Amino acid sequence: MAADGARQWWIRPAIRLGAAALLPVAVPAVITGLIWALPGDPASLICPPEICSGTEQLAARWNLDQGPVHFFLSWLSDAASGDFGKSWRIQQGSPVTPLLLTAIPHTAALVGLALSLLLAGALGAATRVLPARADSLLSAVGLIPTVVMSLAAAAAVSINYGASAFDAEAVRVKILLGALALGLADSALAGAARGVRSIFESERQRRYVQMGILRGEGVLSNAWPNAAPAIAGQMRARTLHLLSGAVVVEVVLQIEGLGDLLWSGTLAQDFGVVLAATFGFALLSGSLLLAQAAVEIAVAMHVRRSPPVREVAA
Amino acid sequence: MTRGRWLLALLALVFAASWVVPGFFAEPHLPDPDLMKRLAPPSEMPPFGADDRGRPLLNYALQGAQVVGIPALVAGLLVALLGVVGGLLATVGGGRVEGAVAAVGELLGALPRMVVVLVVALLVPRDARGLMPIALTWAILAAPGAMDEAAAVAGRLGGAAFVEALRAHGFSRSRILLYHVVGLNLRPVVVRQGAETMMQVVFLEIALSYLAIAERQGSFTHSDDIHSWASLLDLGYKVVLDLPSWHALGLGLGLIAMVAVTAVTASAAARAR
Amino acid sequence: MSKTRNWKRLITGALVGLSALATCGSTLSFYEESLPTTLNPLYAASMVDHRVNELVFDRLYYHDPITNELASRLVTQWELVEQGKAVRLTLRKDIKWQDGKNFRADDVCFTVRAMLDPGTTSPIAEGYRSVFTGCEVEGKDQAIVRFTKIFHNPLNRLGFYVLPQHRFDGDAVPPDHDFSSHPTGTGPASGNLGSKQVNFQGIQNSHHQPSIAQLSLLEAQDPLVQVKTLLNNGVQGIIAVPPPYRAEVSTSDDMSLKGYDLRSWWFIAADQTKPFLKDKKVRQAINLLLDRTDLRQLSIGVKPGEQNSPCEFISGPFVQASPYYNHDVPVSARSDKDRALALLTEAGLTDVGGRWHYNGAPITLRIGMKAALDNEAPDLLSQIGNQLGQAGFDRQTYKLSEDEWNTQAITGQLSENYDLLIGKWSFGLVEDVNALFHTRRDGRGSKNIFNYSNPQVDALLAQYESAKTDTQARDAYHKLHSMLAEDLPYLFLWKLDTKSAWRTDVRGTTIAPYYYWTEIDNWKYGG
Repeated sequence: MAADGARQWWIRPAIRLGAAALLPVAVPAVITGLIWALPGDPASLICPPEICSGTEQLAARWNLDQGPVHFFLSWLSDAASGDFGKSWRIQQGSPVTPLLLTAIPHTAALVGLALSLLLAGALGAATRVLPARADSLLSAVGLIPTVVMSLAAAAAVSINYGASAFDAEAVRVKILLGALALGLADSALAGAARGVRSIFESERQRRYVQMGILRGEGVLSNAWPNAAPAIAGQMRARTLHLLSGAVVVEVVLQIEGLGDLLWSGTLAQDFGVVLAATFGFALLSGSLLLAQAAVEIAVAMHVRRSPPVREVAA
Repeated sequence: MTRGRWLLALLALVFAASWVVPGFFAEPHLPDPDLMKRLAPPSEMPPFGADDRGRPLLNYALQGAQVVGIPALVAGLLVALLGVVGGLLATVGGGRVEGAVAAVGELLGALPRMVVVLVVALLVPRDARGLMPIALTWAILAAPGAMDEAAAVAGRLGGAAFVEALRAHGFSRSRILLYHVVGLNLRPVVVRQGAETMMQVVFLEIALSYLAIAERQGSFTHSDDIHSWASLLDLGYKVVLDLPSWHALGLGLGLIAMVAVTAVTASAAARAR
Repeated sequence: MSKTRNWKRLITGALVGLSALATCGSTLSFYEESLPTTLNPLYAASMVDHRVNELVFDRLYYHDPITNELASRLVTQWELVEQGKAVRLTLRKDIKWQDGKNFRADDVCFTVRAMLDPGTTSPIAEGYRSVFTGCEVEGKDQAIVRFTKIFHNPLNRLGFYVLPQHRFDGDAVPPDHDFSSHPTGTGPASGNLGSKQVNFQGIQNSHHQPSIAQLSLLEAQDPLVQVKTLLNNGVQGIIAVPPPYRAEVSTSDDMSLKGYDLRSWWFIAADQTKPFLKDKKVRQAINLLLDRTDLRQLSIGVKPGEQNSPCEFISGPFVQASPYYNHDVPVSARSDKDRALALLTEAGLTDVGGRWHYNGAPITLRIGMKAALDNEAPDLLSQIGNQLGQAGFDRQTYKLSEDEWNTQAITGQLSENYDLLIGKWSFGLVEDVNALFHTRRDGRGSKNIFNYSNPQVDALLAQYESAKTDTQARDAYHKLHSMLAEDLPYLFLWKLDTKSAWRTDVRGTTIAPYYYWTEIDNWKYGG
């Protein structure tokens, strides 16, 4: 059985690596199917057939006239050469690529800063530097929804910066405040600390850890290999949750990010923007999968390199 | 200790009932404004005071409970259930099935959730608009994370080897899976995941309700006749703009606190031995 | 010779560029209701789009906001030709496009051809296809624009924005052309569409000398945040201040409220295809059940008897100040429940357990309203619902997005979904309501919400269209007003003044009706 388990350690990481490679194509494909199902279509929104005779022509221009598969494949072949087309509605006539290039760093900074906060909290909980009694305070702060924190931040920025709210300095302030909102609100930090704490507390109870402590070893070094996959899974889930929350933060704080593009693009049925932003999103998700797979591989390697358990003679 | 666990579980149920049950008593429409009572504090208009149009905040609390109550609980239960499935698959050692589920899970987990949720919300006919489809969608999208974590916990037990070891002690397969794996080991994880999802659905509803207002749309999560807790918080946050709406903020956060306490109590009950 | 021309072009371009810097160095920032969807006038879909177009482009003809006279910054002379079916326009020779190129007759004819081209998939262009047949260039500075028929006021048909031929490869202007976000006009400011704001640069020209170097358009946030930001001098203006916040603005010494004549009037459209709304008596009864005074007080904050009210009741499809308004038709300011009850009973409705029934089935009114209107009249939707609910009608209320309104409500597709729709129409100085009430057929009635059809109304609208004098037009519309007040395809609510807020250090703020920025050249800020 142990041999089977040893042989099968690579399955999960392999699935993750495979998924990471497929995501930049698979996720836009799924999203194409979803937005295609929305009532109406972009051509009809701009040229309603009841009052405008060019609807079909516009649909043909935008590859909307031969079904979602044709549309997606056309988009894919253009995207492969770096052409993400133009925005049809949210910034009509503007090429999508520059929008994406502006959005990705903003979202990465926003989510990255929020994630740093979560990782710090998780590490603190794992090492007990962050005491258990701090969880109540974090939970209390976490009661505030992201949208409320973001609204307060947006009001403060608007009133203080006014028309300069889109200058570089104001954008940095918005990203910082948005990251705080993302990290603290919606029980994000509280959940991360509690979740990691519960995993490590559960590991601390185990005999192998207690034996390690008796040997003078650290808790973290003993428990980490066992806990790492679960924590990696948890952190990945929390990061994806942060990416979802980033939509709210970016819309409320008016940050030009992937979430904002996704949200406005979906509402306006600006397919080019949605697919490009989804592609960007898939890249971020794929990188998370890669990170998770790397952790699992590292843990498996660590286990394989550890001294083998010797059978005690009867 | 068993009694303590049951007591915590009972408390969790009581807390859940405190914010779910009142939703059944919500009025279908808000009353007409009374501008003379604009932003009246609870002392002038018990129990919770008035909004900026003089209408009782109690109506908002009840209508909001109606919006989030059942969908949040159902979403939490669904995630917990799927977490159990994930953990059992890792234990049973399904091989290809586990691999296929994992692959689908990775794809689901990688989808931009807010877009999927928004599309689902827009696809639901106006008359059927409510939080349940969105909550279920959110639960399905969040499930891979729960399944992953549960699978990791089951993996730490030893997976199929653990089952075989207990079989050697004479326990039946079903007892091992249901009691030893799920009941003793997966329980804390899946209940915590379910409780977190329940909270996330409440937060999601608040975010979506606000975004609908900001985008000048009809509501995504409830009929336009009623208001959700988002309206309380939208009014309440304006204390930073010198609007005397502390009572709205307090009520909104208090309601969310009830949901949080439910989640924490349920998780504690699941951890207790 | 060609080398000389090249140098001239270079110098002219440099001068145009330098002139952009010659104006005062301050930026005038303001909140708009939303970001524009496009900067291409052919695809303008909202009032924001129309206002922004006025900054970037020139209309061939426009109404002077001070004198109301028809004027042009581009045309020096005009004459009717071809028995009145065409007009020859002589254009100014000294006007430049914002990129330095010369404005010519080719551009006028290109614009007409673009509107006629089927590849220009624009509802606005579609509307002009029933007006123009073509355009011919005569020399560099003369164009003959041809009409589909003889119009008694042909210059009124030339209110379109002129586009530059040199920016396009052919005659078709698609919506996703780069022009939509980076346009070139002859207007007082050039603009670039951003995702969160639109920045404009003042451009000096022979016909525009704006004093303001830069303008910045920001998307409106919560009205309270907007007002606080204005108070803090974070921005200098708000285009449309919702009524509940006007008091705070008017009490400040640093800000002032300015009227913005939008000729907006609010209405509730009633779907006459519904069996219980088919009978005029039911519509009249619902009209009488509404207490407009209470609605106005609770949603807009105007107390009964208030002097200089920004919200004036109407009884027909015009504002009271309009020459088309028929003052003989009284408004219904207060509800009359007894009369309403009698009408409902006469119409065959029965009251069962406090709820109205039709043919044995309870009536549930499905009432929709454009969501954006909630800012101007908070809770109007729920209050109308409550009033009808108290009168015995069960109801469900819905808010519609801008897209739903523009693509479904206006195009008459919401009959299955709604019984009543609350909305607002805004007009410039030309209040042509034909499209709202004409039977939807052959391109007419393009904004007929519930596909209302009444041959007598159609006849009156045709009378207006064929009117040769203002008196004839007025008579036709007076009769229309009377007929619609009786037939009630709409329950007419009120006209609500739109007010802008500007800081007092912004001077010379002449706000043109509808288009807003027509006189921006006279505005001064800073410097």
